[in-house]
Amino acid sequence: MASLPKRIIKETERLASDPVPGISAEPHEDNLRYFAVTIEGPEESPYENGVFELELYLPDDYPMEAPKVRFLTRIYHPNIDRLGRICLDVLKNNWSPALQIRTVLLSIQALLASPNPNDPLANDVAEEWIKNEELAISKAKEWTKLYAGKR
Amino acid sequence: MSTYEEEHGLSRENSEDARSASVDRRETRSQFQELFQTFGNNNSEEDVDNSMLLLLLSQMIPASLQQEWMEQMEQSDKKGCSESFIDSLPRIPASKIKEDDSCPICCCTYKEDDHPLVAELPHCNHKFDLECISVWLSKSTSCPLCRDDVMSHKPGIDTSQVELEEDWGMFG
Ligand SMILES: [Zn+2]
Ligand SMILES: [Zn+2]
Repeated sequence: MASLPKRIIKETERLASDPVPGISAEPHEDNLRYFAVTIEGPEESPYENGVFELELYLPDDYPMEAPKVRFLTRIYHPNIDRLGRICLDVLKNNWSPALQIRTVLLSIQALLASPNPNDPLANDVAEEWIKNEELAISKAKEWTKLYAGKR
Repeated sequence: MSTYEEEHGLSRENSEDARSASVDRRETRSQFQELFQTFGNNNSEEDVDNSMLLLLLSQMIPASLQQEWMEQMEQSDKKGCSESFIDSLPRIPASKIKEDDSCPICCCTYKEDDHPLVAELPHCNHKFDLECISVWLSKSTSCPLCRDDVMSHKPGIDTSQVELEEDWGMFG
């Protein structure tokens, strides 16, 4: 395995020494480009009191290419599909090499705080969300209790 | 996406997804065939409105496929700056680089290198290692820090002048 770029080492160190509130990210022992991530559901969102597990992978081209991130914990959210893939511009066309693991995870946390069912690439959850927001929010809360309970 | 999932042994769900996508595709293809036969048989009878055809087509293509196409289009659209543009970026003399200035792309301080080669983007004046920004600008035209489109400011060719010359040519 090629040596790890300095930037990745620095980012990893800072994630540990100066963690983002409500977010943890730890590299795997045997693959330092692969991170086990948890994000706490933001207060006053349907995901409040939930702890969501994600995985993050830094491709060989990182930071020229965005990290690959997805939810492992099931979540009912208009911008996250059933495979846990996240519809977020900074992970796709709006990636910039000046962004970091922490900024990406902060963006995902913000996405939990403000779901956007009007995103043009959203899935069927988004349709349900637009049709009946109240129902969708209660379903999101239910799923949070069901799948994202604190351990 | 696929390489990621392969690397992480997540291929099972993924292949299920791929299978249903290929079924979708097969259905789409047969629907296309039907449509073309229908319109092909009574052609010239009535001019089929193009926009209606497009609407029909877009309704028949599964959303997942549309998304895939859109992403492919966006990817192929993504062209970076020319090598000559990157080479022409102003370079910062070592005397103007501060001790703890660092490159936002590799996160290393410039002075870690005895002979740092730091380039500045025109207009927004953001600075990066030339080596780092070269790689990024070979596939993008936006500044990593402020997303300024570096090519949009290029004086380049004055098109109004070109059109004028063509007009003259017509008279001549
Ligand atoms: Zn650099
Ligand atoms: Zn800039």
